[in-house]
Parts: sequence; C-alpha cells; structure tokens
Amino acid sequence: MPVRTKTAESPIWVKWLGVAILLAAAVAVLYSLSGLVKILIISALLAYIIDPLATFLESRGLKRSGATAIVFLMIVGIMALSFLVLAPMLVNQIISIQQSLKSGHADTMVKQIEQMAAPHFSSFGVKEVNIADRLEAYAASTAEWFFDHILDMVSLLTNIIIIPFIVFFLLKDGRQIKKQFVSLMPNRYFELSLNLLHKMDIQLGNYLRGQFLDAAVVGILSTLALWALNVKYAFLFGAFAGVANLIPYLGPVLGATLAILVTVIDTGQISTAASILIAFIVVKLIDDAIIQPMIVARSVDMHPLVVLLAVIIGGKFFGILGMLLSVPATGFLKVSLQEGIASYRRYR
Amino acid sequence: MDIAWSNIFSRKSCDRNSVKDVLKKVPIFRDLSDRELRKVERLIYHRSFADGETIFRAGEPGLGMYIVESGQVQIYLLAHDEPLAILTDGEFFGELSLLDESPRSASAAAQGETHLLCFFHPELMDLLNVDPRLGVKILIGLSRTIGERLKKATEYIEVMKSGNPTSKVDACADKDR
Repeated sequence: MPVRTKTAESPIWVKWLGVAILLAAAVAVLYSLSGLVKILIISALLAYIIDPLATFLESRGLKRSGATAIVFLMIVGIMALSFLVLAPMLVNQIISIQQSLKSGHADTMVKQIEQMAAPHFSSFGVKEVNIADRLEAYAASTAEWFFDHILDMVSLLTNIIIIPFIVFFLLKDGRQIKKQFVSLMPNRYFELSLNLLHKMDIQLGNYLRGQFLDAAVVGILSTLALWALNVKYAFLFGAFAGVANLIPYLGPVLGATLAILVTVIDTGQISTAASILIAFIVVKLIDDAIIQPMIVARSVDMHPLVVLLAVIIGGKFFGILGMLLSVPATGFLKVSLQEGIASYRRYR
Repeated sequence: MDIAWSNIFSRKSCDRNSVKDVLKKVPIFRDLSDRELRKVERLIYHRSFADGETIFRAGEPGLGMYIVESGQVQIYLLAHDEPLAILTDGEFFGELSLLDESPRSASAAAQGETHLLCFFHPELMDLLNVDPRLGVKILIGLSRTIGERLKKATEYIEVMKSGNPTSKVDACADKDR
C-alpha cells in the first residue's frame, strides 16, 4: 500500500493572523517608501501599456531585448517630440489664460457670475461666493504643485532617468521576474499562484490598456470638437479632458467644467459655453456607446462610491498624481482580490 | 549560497543539456528543433517533491503538464487505493490541462525524491503570442498525443465489449508496449 504524507495544516486563525500581519507590514513599508512606490506604479502602468507592442515585434521574429529596445526608442522619441512640440503649446495656452483672467473684462464677468450665483448659495449658508479669490488661490496652488513636482529639475531628472530604466527592464525581463517569483512558492501554492498571476496579468493588461486608449480617444475627440467650435484653448481643454477621463464619473464633469468656466470668464459668451457643453455631452455619449464597450474591460467596473473614495484617498496621500493613479491602482486591487478569492475557492 | 537563491541562479549547463534530452523524449515536443527546444526550456519550471508529497489533487483546476525528470510519480484516485499508474523518468502526465482548466481527474504524488519539469497553460498561451509557429507545432504534438490516447481508449472499450475482457485487455496492453 502506497504511503502518501500530508503536510501539517496550521489552524485557520494562525493563517489569517499571518495574512493580517503581512498586509499591515506591507502597507507600512509602502507608506514609508511612497516616493518609490509612486515611481514603481507609474513604471508598471507604462510597461503594461507598452507590452503588447514589444510582444508584437517579438512575434515577427525579433528577440525580446531587440523588440523592447525598438519599442522603447519609439516611445522615448514620441515623448521627446511631445515635449518639444506639445509642451510649449500647452504652456502658451496656460500663460494666455492667466493673462486673460487678470484682464478687466474677466473681472467684470466674474463679478457678474458672483452676483448671479450669490442668492442661490445663500440658502446653503454661503454668504460670499468669491469665485475670483478661489480661482486665484486654486491657480496658485496648482502652479505651485506643477513647479514642485513636474518642473523641479532634480525630481524631473530622477524620474526621466529612473522611470524609463525600470520600464525597460520590466518589459525585457518581466516574464523572467514573474517566473522566478512563482518559483519561490511552495509546491502546495505553486499552481495557484501561477494561475492567479496569469489571470491578473490578462485582466489588468486589458483594463489599463483600455483606460489609456479610452483617455487618448476622448482627448482627441474633445480637442477636435472644441477646435471645430473655434474654442480658443481647444488643445489644452481637450488634453485635460483626456487625462481627467482616467477618473470615471468625475473626470468628464471636471473636463467640461474647466472648459466652460474658463471660456465664460474669458469671452463672456454664454452661447459658446452652451456649445462646449453639448460637445462634451456628445463626446461622452460616443465614449459610453462606442469606445468603452469596445476597448475597456467591463470586469473592472467599480462602484461610483469606491471611485470617489479612491480619488479622495489618492489625492490625500499623493496629490493630483495620486488622484489620477488611484483609479487604476484600485482596479489593480479589485482584480487581485477577485482573482485571488476565485482561485482560492477553486484550489481549496 | 542560500538554497532559494542557489535554486534560481546556479543551474548548471549540464542540467540544461539533460532537460533538453528529457523534453526530446516527450512526444508533444518530438518535432521541435534544438533551437525551439531551448525556447521551450526557458518556459519550463523545475520543481522538486519529497517522498509522498502531493503534486496535485483530483478535482483541482488543472494548469498544465508535468514531465518526470527523475524519481517516480503515483497516479491515484483515493488516498489509500492502489495507484492507477506509476510514472518514471521521461514519462508525462496532465497534458490535457494545457488546453483548458478542467478539474484534474486523478491525484498525483511523488514516490521517493522526485524532480519534475512543468509546462503550463499560461506559458503555452504566451508562446502562441510570441512565437505562433512554435506554439502551433506544440499544439499539433499535443493533438497527436491526445488522438493516440483516444484511439487506445477506443480499442480497450471495444475489447471490453466483445467479451473475455481480461485476456484481451492484457493483449492490447502488451501490443501498446
């Protein structure tokens, strides 16, 4: 009669306690290394988005390192081109908006809006609306953040060097890293962890690439629509709408609000504001009816409340970048939990 | 060097040759060139099992196939039953799981210290994306192996139906060997 030993099972509470301690330790470490975590998250997101291009080149007969190098050079080229062509355009439009907001015409418009809005807000206990002060304070804090985080040369240089470096190696050696990680698992959890990683990889890849493509298409459509309506800062508003679209529910509203508010203050034309609103509604309808069903993975649908909480928490810890990254990061957590629980049930 | 790290980094080149030799004996990889076998080798996981350690249990979702590099593997239905089969060096099992995640039909456990090479569904899917030609070659090898097994199963069923099963089944088994 064959003898087959069974591994000794620990009591369930020991397992859960172990998991809780591990999770708490992981959160503490991640929090203390938040700067590094931010860089790693951005690099991983970029690697996920770019990966199919490298795989495509590999399927045409190139080695992984060659395919990665080509894709990488392409991306660096596009980024450099964007930096040289698009960045000056954006900066010019921002400066132009700043100057226009300081003009006497904008002042009059803001006062008119304040007078119109004040009676409606008084019922909520708000005595003074002070849009101008609020806008000025917000613009100042945004500019401060922009200079602190984006134009701070030390962090800019560090990020420009480190992020591409990490992305390159994640792309080139991602499979080996995954294989070596799975190899460290004990025999009992080996198949489970490989299966879990595989499923997460597919789900996350589809989700992140879908979100990125969706944001890009919405950005382009919004820019085109605003350009067709002859809106002054079409490119800036379009680009903002695209980036904001990464935040479900809130993003499209933010994109439209910024465009409408600045246009009304700048030109005072309510009719243009109405056309902008219609343009954003049309883009949103196209996005909901055509783009999203085609490219965004529906399995990572998140409840509006979860999105809102994620955005608030992301903003609290990592600022504006955190707000943008919080949704993909929550998507990552949701997919991990979903697949983890499903796999655990199947293998139990 | 720590065991975990040595396991990852210090695989000797002589091991690599032997892995290729083991793979060559598996009908699924029979038509692959040396270059293609090296590619497959990079996707293979090496696992070691202690005497009596479970490799997988019946009913668990299957993820892929195992090839015995050294040692022995018992295939069984219930823990205290006689094994359905004992597999040795170069033999393989679980290949149907390369195609889907259907539950394992039997359990497998190591008999003595056993080293297995593992080739899994996610790696096959990756390979089909990255090198479709090689992926298709493996799928053809897999289909041929499954087809042969189906043919043998049909033969056994016919023998069983036609009466005097014991002697005829033995004869069939002898013919297969």
